[in-house]
Amino acid sequence: MSEAGVILEATGLTRVYRHGRVRVPALQGVSLRVLRGEVACVVGPSGSGKTTLLNVIGGLDRPTEGGILVDGLDLTALSPGQLADYRLRRVGFVFQFYNLIPILTALENVELPMALARVPEHERRERAFDLLEKVGLAHRVDHRPDELSGGEQQRVAIARALANGPALVLADEPTGDLDSQSAVEFMKMVGEFNRRAHQTFILVTHDPLVVRECTKAYTIRDGKIERELSRKEIEETVPQKDLLKPL
Amino acid sequence: MSAWTMARRSLWRRKLRTGLTVLSVVVGIAMMFLLLSLTAGVDVQVHQLIRAMGGADLTVSNATAPAMPRRQQYLVLGFLNESLAENLTAVPGVYNVTPQLVSYMSIDDMRSPTTIIGIDPATHLEVTGGLNIALDGGRSLQAGDREKIVLGKTLADTLNKTVNAEVTVITLAQGNLTFTVVGVFESEIPQMEHAGYVTLEEAQEVTNQTGLVTQFLVKCVDPNLVETVAEDIRNSVPGVRVANPAVMAQRASQMLNTLTLFFLSVSLAALVAGCFGVVNTMLMSVVERTREIGMLKAIGARDSTILRIFLIEALLIGVLGGAIGICAGGALAIALPYLIRELAQLGLVIRFPGRLGGLPMVIPAITPNNTVLCFAVGALIGVAAGVYPAWRAARMSPLEALRRV
Repeated sequence: MSEAGVILEATGLTRVYRHGRVRVPALQGVSLRVLRGEVACVVGPSGSGKTTLLNVIGGLDRPTEGGILVDGLDLTALSPGQLADYRLRRVGFVFQFYNLIPILTALENVELPMALARVPEHERRERAFDLLEKVGLAHRVDHRPDELSGGEQQRVAIARALANGPALVLADEPTGDLDSQSAVEFMKMVGEFNRRAHQTFILVTHDPLVVRECTKAYTIRDGKIERELSRKEIEETVPQKDLLKPL
Repeated sequence: MSAWTMARRSLWRRKLRTGLTVLSVVVGIAMMFLLLSLTAGVDVQVHQLIRAMGGADLTVSNATAPAMPRRQQYLVLGFLNESLAENLTAVPGVYNVTPQLVSYMSIDDMRSPTTIIGIDPATHLEVTGGLNIALDGGRSLQAGDREKIVLGKTLADTLNKTVNAEVTVITLAQGNLTFTVVGVFESEIPQMEHAGYVTLEEAQEVTNQTGLVTQFLVKCVDPNLVETVAEDIRNSVPGVRVANPAVMAQRASQMLNTLTLFFLSVSLAALVAGCFGVVNTMLMSVVERTREIGMLKAIGARDSTILRIFLIEALLIGVLGGAIGICAGGALAIALPYLIRELAQLGLVIRFPGRLGGLPMVIPAITPNNTVLCFAVGALIGVAAGVYPAWRAARMSPLEALRRV
């Protein structure tokens, strides 16, 4: 595939946290490349550095060393203000829980990133409604997060992540708090946006239900990428019968 | 879904806490507004008292008489000999002089004594411009009137008397006398409408003060030289006090400034306490909403956006506190005179000793200036209290914030 198809290019990423005098390496030379239109997942045990990796890709954290290009943008060269702008326009986030602002309705939560990007009101309202319709929540637009189920909340979160038309959607354990039915529905949404809009996703997960839907998987351990699995390898490694067993 | 919407909704979501925080501002603002209204009321009354001298430029009274006398003191102190008028007229720059004898007598069955002022109708008209007789067929006093009285409108209403009615005046020297009401006058000064006017000779007779007066009102030739004339009188006529309303007004406003400053600092203390209440609530709110702040930052909100949301919240608390405080303080200010009157009737209020004893109750005045000032102070308190918490929120690292559950 051509270079133009590369959405994420990370080379030799390290991230070292300091707890007083102790140096804790969270990432130790991670290199990976994700193409436009892929649904990639990062799988690994707790403390393996997968969330740190996601935060670095999302511009929430900076690498100690190494280079990272997202959508042609060198993240290490951006100022804090530019990073905020990068998070606003180029990436969308879905977290495990507490994704939504509790005082805003579903519609307003989806409108929020567009309001921050100063999209005119009628335009953002229309787009927010459209997105909620696509995730099957047209009938719940005026509900507040505490009136929605966990699965519904995560679907609103996807809609919000997509609001400003990001190049990349990042999700940190998006199904971690959902029952398997809701998790399946969530991944169905991801699959649909991927197929229809060619939307790229990078998901951090333990959940085999999620992994099975991905086009590519990375396993990460002790801050290093262990393996890169293709679609075919995923199907072989994650058999149907082990679906409910954590990876 | 602007910062305003978010701020408003956050406040609304925690109604009790918001309410209590607003209350901490309300207390300070209400107190400030009430005190300022009281001061404004004193201001109005002082100026009315000064204006009560009518068109006269100067008031001359006995040097031993207090400037604002108690009722009884007129009976023992502060008389001047009527013949002093000639000395005063002789002072250069004096245009005319009119004598006045103020006394207190009971009328009909009213329990508290009424101010009865004896005047010389001809010179009184020249010096003060005369009494403003209400348009109901009455007239002012004329020289040689006997057993005739002109009543202030409030007094007439209280007594339920109109022109040509008769009133009974209980005098010291001559017992009960019957007077005919020849006119009812109105005045710009409400207190004056509680008084009645009779001729000077009659006032002297019924109080047994023949040849004596309590004041002379003086009109000067040149209104710009009033203080010079006052000085000349002080130097050439022994034993008199000369009051210049212009100077009194100046002193009064100085006193009022001091009073205002004192009241302002008292309420400021209350406001500072309220301010800490707001700071505390806002800090608590920032900590509670750490996740929310992290989320907002993760999806691209800039520090300035977060700062704005929290500052607006604090501002809304301040504005709300200011508005409610003004209403509460205003209501108290309006209710205060009634409240004190009710309590006085129950005998629960101790009368002020000394000079204040004879003064009418201060009626608080609500002025636009004070309203705007209190509102602005409320808003300012809110914003000031919001600065630090908002800054804390804005500075929060999104990663740290998201890690907290």
